[in-house]
Amino acid sequence: MKILQVYRSEPNDQIKTLVGILNRDRDADEFFLNVESPDYDQLVAKVFAADKTVCWW
Amino acid sequence: MESLKVYILVANRMYCDGVRSGLGLAVENHYAYPVIMNGEFPTFSTYMTENIAWVMDMEGQVYSCGAPAPDNCVDEEGDKLIAEISLEELGEAMREADFIIPYGLQKQTNEPPPACAE
Amino acid sequence: MAADPNKLAIFVTSPQNMRHVVGIANAAKKAGKVPMIFFTYKSIHLTKDARFKGLAEMCGEENLAICADSYTCEGYDSAADIPAGLTANQMRTQAFHGALLDECGKYIVL
Repeated sequence: MKILQVYRSEPNDQIKTLVGILNRDRDADEFFLNVESPDYDQLVAKVFAADKTVCWW
Repeated sequence: MESLKVYILVANRMYCDGVRSGLGLAVENHYAYPVIMNGEFPTFSTYMTENIAWVMDMEGQVYSCGAPAPDNCVDEEGDKLIAEISLEELGEAMREADFIIPYGLQKQTNEPPPACAE
Repeated sequence: MAADPNKLAIFVTSPQNMRHVVGIANAAKKAGKVPMIFFTYKSIHLTKDARFKGLAEMCGEENLAICADSYTCEGYDSAADIPAGLTANQMRTQAFHGALLDECGKYIVL
């Protein structure tokens, strides 16, 4: 399974723990929205390439 | 229609509306698991308590992660309506989820002032 | 009905991500995908953002809705003050979120 982790802000330790469990034995990718100019084209491509996306706070 | 497993994570006291959102999915025949993180509990009005009980009736469950389940949200027999789940248990459970919804905003740094604390 | 692999659900629950909502919806459209968006709870304040009308027009009546109860709870008039770019048909319930889950092959929360 391909899983994509998207972050709207810097992940805290709780989120990192959950992501570690969710990504275990899976093909994991990530994308950070908390930058000045997110590449939304790239994000959409990643979302459509993934089986599942989680977008954290 | 396939019934989906949906976890709704609430990290901020202002966003316990995630319970209502979960109930909305439960009545659409999905399994809803609203999770209140770190004790960011709502005021347990009759409306909120009924919604939490209704989620259970629809084979979902409201969880507390990172804080004891409150003892002021109970059914008619006095049993707690909110179940406790550890962070690791939550992670493992969410591996089986169809959707994971971090709802609203992240936890605030400062405690709420009296103007909005209740 | 099977989920449409070309459809992207955007479930908006936060009142502070309008640039991401617009950016992702535009990028999806550009990529030949169909964005389907539901605004709920405090995110309904984004209906007052100047970019909302254009977003609603791009998505079309079938593919964008807001939670009418949330709109009312936040103090707006869901009968006399329907947001710019929307019709009364787009003032919906949480069932629209259920439709997002059922109809869309991909899903993101903002």
